[in-house]
Amino acid sequence: MGPEFLLKKQNPDGGWAYLQGGSWTEPSVYATLALLAAGEARAARRGIDWLIATERPGGGWASRPGVGESSWVTALAALVPEERLGRDAHRRAIAWLLSTRGEDTTFLYTLRLRLLGRSPSTDYVHPGWPWTKGAAAWVGPTSAAVLALDRESKLHPDPKVSERVQAGRQFLLAHTCAAGGWNHGAIAAWGENMAPYPETTGMALLALRGVRAPQIDRSLATGQKFLATASADAQNWLRLGLSAHNCLPANYQPPGGIPYRTVPEVALNCLAAQGGLA
Amino acid sequence: MSRSLTRRQWMAGAGALTIAGCASRKPAAETAEVSIVRALAYDQRLYDTVCRMLSDQRLNVRGRNVVLKPNLVEFEPGTSINTHPLLVHAAYEAFFALGAASVRIAEGPGHRRNTLDLADAAGYFRIVPKFEEVFTDLNVDDVSRVRLVNPVSRIEKLYLPNTALGADLFVSMPKMKTHHWAVATLSMKNLFGVVPGGLYGWPKNMLHWAGIDQSIADLRTVFPRQFALVDGIVGMQGNGPIQGTPKEAGVLVAGRDMAAVDATCCRIMGIDANKVAYLRLAAADGGQIDERFIRQTGESIASVATPFNVLPYFRGYRLGAG
Repeated sequence: MGPEFLLKKQNPDGGWAYLQGGSWTEPSVYATLALLAAGEARAARRGIDWLIATERPGGGWASRPGVGESSWVTALAALVPEERLGRDAHRRAIAWLLSTRGEDTTFLYTLRLRLLGRSPSTDYVHPGWPWTKGAAAWVGPTSAAVLALDRESKLHPDPKVSERVQAGRQFLLAHTCAAGGWNHGAIAAWGENMAPYPETTGMALLALRGVRAPQIDRSLATGQKFLATASADAQNWLRLGLSAHNCLPANYQPPGGIPYRTVPEVALNCLAAQGGLA
Repeated sequence: MSRSLTRRQWMAGAGALTIAGCASRKPAAETAEVSIVRALAYDQRLYDTVCRMLSDQRLNVRGRNVVLKPNLVEFEPGTSINTHPLLVHAAYEAFFALGAASVRIAEGPGHRRNTLDLADAAGYFRIVPKFEEVFTDLNVDDVSRVRLVNPVSRIEKLYLPNTALGADLFVSMPKMKTHHWAVATLSMKNLFGVVPGGLYGWPKNMLHWAGIDQSIADLRTVFPRQFALVDGIVGMQGNGPIQGTPKEAGVLVAGRDMAAVDATCCRIMGIDANKVAYLRLAAADGGQIDERFIRQTGESIASVATPFNVLPYFRGYRLGAG
């Protein structure tokens, strides 16, 4: 299943649902990027037009139109090449990302912890990104934001952008599971280590491209073991993440028989096959 | 586009229903009826058992749209994390047998994004024929805005999935588990799964920042046409809802008042329901948690009670702990 599925699933407004229904930002970005990579310029243009039309007034994107708050998907929109999205819209996306951090790393929150006699742990030192403003930072949105800002930093070097990329990567390293790999961002619960997930392990590895650390070595081994997972989502992100570290086995093909059901699953499969997301 | 509806508009749109009373902010709790039935295994006998439980509850679902909301959390095979698919399928068949116009299974897991893979790993594809056709991923369903009436959490409005909001009867089908933050996770805590991850993320951390107990209590008020059927055949004790150990309790617990059902489950689990914060909040809002005003049918609590281990932090919540 490939671009033809994405063409068939494109909504009349130019965006995509996850599976069916109204258009959401996340599947629309992935599908647009996949169609751009596949040379389906006309459908991709409609996707980009949908993104341009759904930018929120204050900058940033909501998870879907009509929801009155920008969210983590702004990082995904920033992955669309700026010459296609528009330089101003792209700048506003980057500005939104720079202004956003997990609530658990804000000055007021850490001050409150200190006043209560509790020292912020390493969890609170490196600001990552939340799914929605006003909540804590997690692995998924932090990985997406690091990807977007890293690319911005290479195109338009800026110390403020580089600093957030570094902090985001430190956040990811600090949230590596004991056995290697990542879950949504909880390392342990009541003293018991939590297990990593294949999909978030792939995402974090992609965001940590070019970084050397013992946590990454452990996580690459974990990611390679996860390649046996019969899940499209897992396969997509692992291929992207392991490729970023040149650790995907040569000529790797996902196991047969895995269903690719949703727009993100199909779009990311196309992107993984065509060389990457960012 | 998302439509903006108040909870009252949803209720009005659904017409005059006989299924459950309105759960708006109200202090007076009525007597609730809760069924407790022994069920020792996940086998074919469940189909008859669930049918009898629902009949005993005198649910009028003829011509109605029913949504079953199990608890799907993690992939781990051989654990007791997820609601067993055989129980969900038994309820699915039973509601059709009672005349429901449609029955959908719907869930929005809080940690894992690949919901269908999770359902597959939990056995749903194997047990429920044409599972994909009857299932809705609540994390990415179309949504409508709901304004909460006098919320006790910091949440004033939520975007919630249309499949859940449009149900004539919303059936929460949790696993009977201890929980490392909320003491116990039952039919009310299971409502976290209706909050769409597509908007609020994985995990749905906004609910934690708004107050876990308060958010649980508020979500209960969003679904006035509610019913609960708890999978206590094999539950989880200790460091739930994921890392605990299986606990064979051998019961199903059901009723129209989620607070009453959860309070009864707590008593079966050896937990003092009156100390569970979200149950106290529900009791202040029309939910019945007072044992004197919960009419038990089927087995008595005493005959099926089996203490669940709790984390040391929650030892004070044990019945008789003082």
